[in-house]
Amino acid sequence: MQTNPLTIANELTRIVRDVFETMMGLEVAAGGAPWFPDSHRLTAAVQLSGLWSGAVLVECDRRLACRLAAAFLSMPEPAEVDDMVRDVVGELANMIGGNLKCALSDGIQLSTPVVVDGSSQLLRVCGAEVCQRLTLECEGRLLWVTVVSIGAVELPHR
Amino acid sequence: MPVDLLIVDDSVAVRKVLQRLLRQADLPVGEVIEAGDGQQALAALADRTVHLVLTDINMPTMNGLELLRRLKGDSRLCQIPVIVISTEGGKGTVMEAVELGAAGFIRKPFTPEQIREKLAPFC
Repeated sequence: MQTNPLTIANELTRIVRDVFETMMGLEVAAGGAPWFPDSHRLTAAVQLSGLWSGAVLVECDRRLACRLAAAFLSMPEPAEVDDMVRDVVGELANMIGGNLKCALSDGIQLSTPVVVDGSSQLLRVCGAEVCQRLTLECEGRLLWVTVVSIGAVELPHR
Repeated sequence: MPVDLLIVDDSVAVRKVLQRLLRQADLPVGEVIEAGDGQQALAALADRTVHLVLTDINMPTMNGLELLRRLKGDSRLCQIPVIVISTEGGKGTVMEAVELGAAGFIRKPFTPEQIREKLAPFC
């Protein structure tokens, strides 16, 4: 069974809001700016494979990444990106990807997260196609959550 | 009696959050030890035991379900209750964890109340 992009967008939005509010007490709103590449961002990715192959990517600038780490760990905001900040952004991608996986199918495996400097580098590596991209705003800064497919355009649904 | 716990998660941040929530939960928590994957968890339990294990599923080297399988297959460790904490809360995954002997399942993201509620019966 296939589902339409609007359904996936709604589900993804619900998952991102749930993860951000539950783990960090932060609100996420729809953002107006379109995605653009930026080498000063952090991108966390988890890969999904099995009945559907693709990835979920979470991108934000380094300042927001530090704020997210502070909220996640209930600690003062780090001055710069360190291993703990990367760990938090990776875990956010893991939670979003894992919950999306559950909404799609049990026949999908989830990778452990990878965090890279820059924006959506995996897109170039995998030659993946963007299925859905949410532009969001959190703490007054932009955040992108992207679902890309590898070898399949549509997403399966339970 | 204070309850000693082992937290198994490849995310240091998640382990820190769980440590903090456990301390704030007003539960009789004793020593809390940490491991980054199933293999490290088994190594930590090689010469000691704990009263409760909290484990993620999606980890490198040895995942949480394999850890659960190994614990339940070990006569010395099989009585330790294991609570699975994972993003992978699909019906199939939960069923597999229960069949392997998990005592509980907490879906990520989690609230402090959920952690307290699931752990209270073991403390």
